[in-house]
Amino acid sequence: MSTDMIKRENEDLENVSERPTMRPPVDIYENREEYLVVADLPGVGSDALEINLDADRLTLTGKTPHETPGEVVEREYRLFDYSRTFQLPNVVDRAKVSAELKNGVLTLHLPKVEAVKPRRIEVRAG
Amino acid sequence: MKWTDFDRSFAALDELRRHMNAWLGEYDRPRSGAAPAALGYSWPLVNLYDNGSELVLSAAAPGLSKEDLELTITGDTLALSGRRTVTVPEGYSVHRQERGNVEFARSFALPAKVNPEKIAATVKDGMLTITMAKAEEAKPRQITVKAG
Repeated sequence: MSTDMIKRENEDLENVSERPTMRPPVDIYENREEYLVVADLPGVGSDALEINLDADRLTLTGKTPHETPGEVVEREYRLFDYSRTFQLPNVVDRAKVSAELKNGVLTLHLPKVEAVKPRRIEVRAG
Repeated sequence: MKWTDFDRSFAALDELRRHMNAWLGEYDRPRSGAAPAALGYSWPLVNLYDNGSELVLSAAAPGLSKEDLELTITGDTLALSGRRTVTVPEGYSVHRQERGNVEFARSFALPAKVNPEKIAATVKDGMLTITMAKAEEAKPRQITVKAG
């Protein structure tokens, strides 16, 4: 993992808690009805996850626990907090965004507004 | 070659790799368990803790459910294997894919004897935690020093 993946939540402001934050890996899918964002957030419980919707921005923030169950014998990983911001396409219906968190994987549904969904036009016989 | 021999050689390799990493100065470099890996040689990344009476192995394994995971203990070797699958939902096109499928098999030589009857494993929020009670003879014991 390269260090450029790790960045502070905000470059200008110093974070009081001083915990490094990383961008979680995501998959993004799309079909006619919606965009689907899937993110790996190991260690983040549903109460430690925040999803913020600004006018055109969607920000995920996840906090991971600090406690360790004993003295460290071997350490291969460190748990970071997570943060990642996406530019939302105009077609996303802000009011209908929904999220589910399971086994440390977040699935975000970003439904498209009705107007852009393809619609079948009935052709009536004259 | 018996299965246990495989276990042992993998544990030895893991051990060697850990030492190599330490020598190369990578040991303490921050890494995250979230990084996708094609090969399950270093996935999931684990930490091992000792709280006196137990060894606790914890691993960042997002997307892993308990059905995807197999755990075996042979003597002082703990082996984990399984599969984390990422499926493209049907009917969707892919814009970006940073998460990966991973099939993993890792084994670890434990630094203390554990009681195989007293091992508990849980999967929560994408974290795997294996709590292993140490065998009686491996537990630390307080020795009272008597004044002469």
